[in-house]
Amino acid sequence: MTSSRHPRGPPVPASPPGLVEHYFRHEYGRLVALLVRRVGLHHLEAVEDAVQGALTAALTAWVVDGIPDSPGAWLYRVAHNHLLGVLRKDRGRQRILDRSAGQHTDDGDRPGEPALAGEVRDELLRMLFVCCDEAIPQESRLVLALKTLCGFSTGEIAFRLFTTEASVYKRLGRARERLRQGDVETQTPPLESLRSRVPSVHAVIYLLFNEGYLSTRADHAVRAELCEEAIRLGTLLAMHAVGAAPPTFALLALMHLHAARLASRQDATGGLLLLEEQDRSLWDREHLRQGAAWLARAADGDVFTRFHAEAGIAAEHCFARSFAETRWNEIAELYAMLERIDPSPLHTLNRAVAVAQDRGPRAGLAVLDGLVPPGWLDGHYMWDAVLADLHGRAGDATTAARHRARALAAAPSTAVRELLQRRLTGAEP
Amino acid sequence: MSKHNYLVLLRNSRVQPGQPGMSGPSPAELQQIFAAYGAWKEKFKEQILDMGDKLGPEGRVVTASGVADGPFVEAKEVVGGFMIVSAETFDGAVEVVSACPAVDVPGVSLEIREMSGRSM
Repeated sequence: MTSSRHPRGPPVPASPPGLVEHYFRHEYGRLVALLVRRVGLHHLEAVEDAVQGALTAALTAWVVDGIPDSPGAWLYRVAHNHLLGVLRKDRGRQRILDRSAGQHTDDGDRPGEPALAGEVRDELLRMLFVCCDEAIPQESRLVLALKTLCGFSTGEIAFRLFTTEASVYKRLGRARERLRQGDVETQTPPLESLRSRVPSVHAVIYLLFNEGYLSTRADHAVRAELCEEAIRLGTLLAMHAVGAAPPTFALLALMHLHAARLASRQDATGGLLLLEEQDRSLWDREHLRQGAAWLARAADGDVFTRFHAEAGIAAEHCFARSFAETRWNEIAELYAMLERIDPSPLHTLNRAVAVAQDRGPRAGLAVLDGLVPPGWLDGHYMWDAVLADLHGRAGDATTAARHRARALAAAPSTAVRELLQRRLTGAEP
Repeated sequence: MSKHNYLVLLRNSRVQPGQPGMSGPSPAELQQIFAAYGAWKEKFKEQILDMGDKLGPEGRVVTASGVADGPFVEAKEVVGGFMIVSAETFDGAVEVVSACPAVDVPGVSLEIREMSGRSM
């Protein structure tokens, strides 16, 4: 540890000796999941307060006495006692307290024994399924997962999702209200009976990943953190019978193969780099290896989901030796499959790009022939950027220049605008 | 030069709980503060005689007229903790305390008082 700490000076080390990175944040998720299981979902807020209190208490106690031998057990014990104290005070809930307290009187004086690793995984997964309840508004699910499972504060969530803290509060409030309205029984149903929520779980994990991956606004560390959280939750799902199926494996493959290229998408100044400009030696080998392994498992069985198509496309890019050696015909075919599974003009646009790489700009333009973009895509920079590029390469400088101007005007950030200017210079008349 | 002991009192401003942004440090921030404390404690280990303790929120105030609940609810600040540091001069104690991560927490102030040292 550095000893040159000054109050407002250099940054502190990311993790103290003895604690892994994100230890407090991940402990938050673990403790919330375990305690919610004990006292019931309708006590979620009390549980979160108790966990926050335990982490705060650890700060002082561990600074004075050092980190205990089993920090997880220490935290669980303190949070558990704190929670029971609060619930005991709440006379209106006496009945529930008695019932929940009765569940572990057989523990004697050892309520603090942390659960086995397998049980912890199950409880985290159960919490993830709780967050993905279809009765919770879609935009609240992600926020609830980030809060309860990933241990981010409302301020940190707002920062990561580029929204206001008040909006995060509102979304959390809606989710909690819904959870309170639910069955007041303390037990959530067995995981197996939540199988119907798996698609919603996939959607939330993928949304979380894309918040990190697609953002052009946050710095690399912040984006990578969201991607890691999504992969962590996806791995959790893949390790349990309820989620261990090819679609989950394909989603994991997709996320690893994208994550492998995350660092190389930006240059040293934070500017965005085109795929053809990226230094392929910077791609993360461990992510590539994991992505390939999950993709192999995803190929089992006869289901082919959008995640399979997207993972396949990512794999073609990742395992091509160079940009020039990319198998564009394979990619075009995978986009065609993606269009059939999940029709979207965006996929058609991407297919046009692949076809143009494979068979020339006119063939690419032919894919878009007759496609009338919906409003959201018509005003989107990608639509005009692709048209500017294809028309430019096909020799129609006037049309290219018109689309180029529109694309630049619609660029959502400086980084994107700079990338477009660089990429589309050839399209100028 | 001989060493003196200094009592450091940590005071917290009362904050209204339950408001956005008032919920205290997040788990990630707590971990950072923990790391900062570790580094601070290591750097000044010769001078931090007693890390002291955190004080609970409730108290009793005893006077000739009886016992009252305290700290008084109208007080803007409450003593939240204490510790003892050793230094040759007041400025030396200030240097140790200024580097303490607690200084960076909003609403916290640290008061340093020299101990007369009768027992030393």
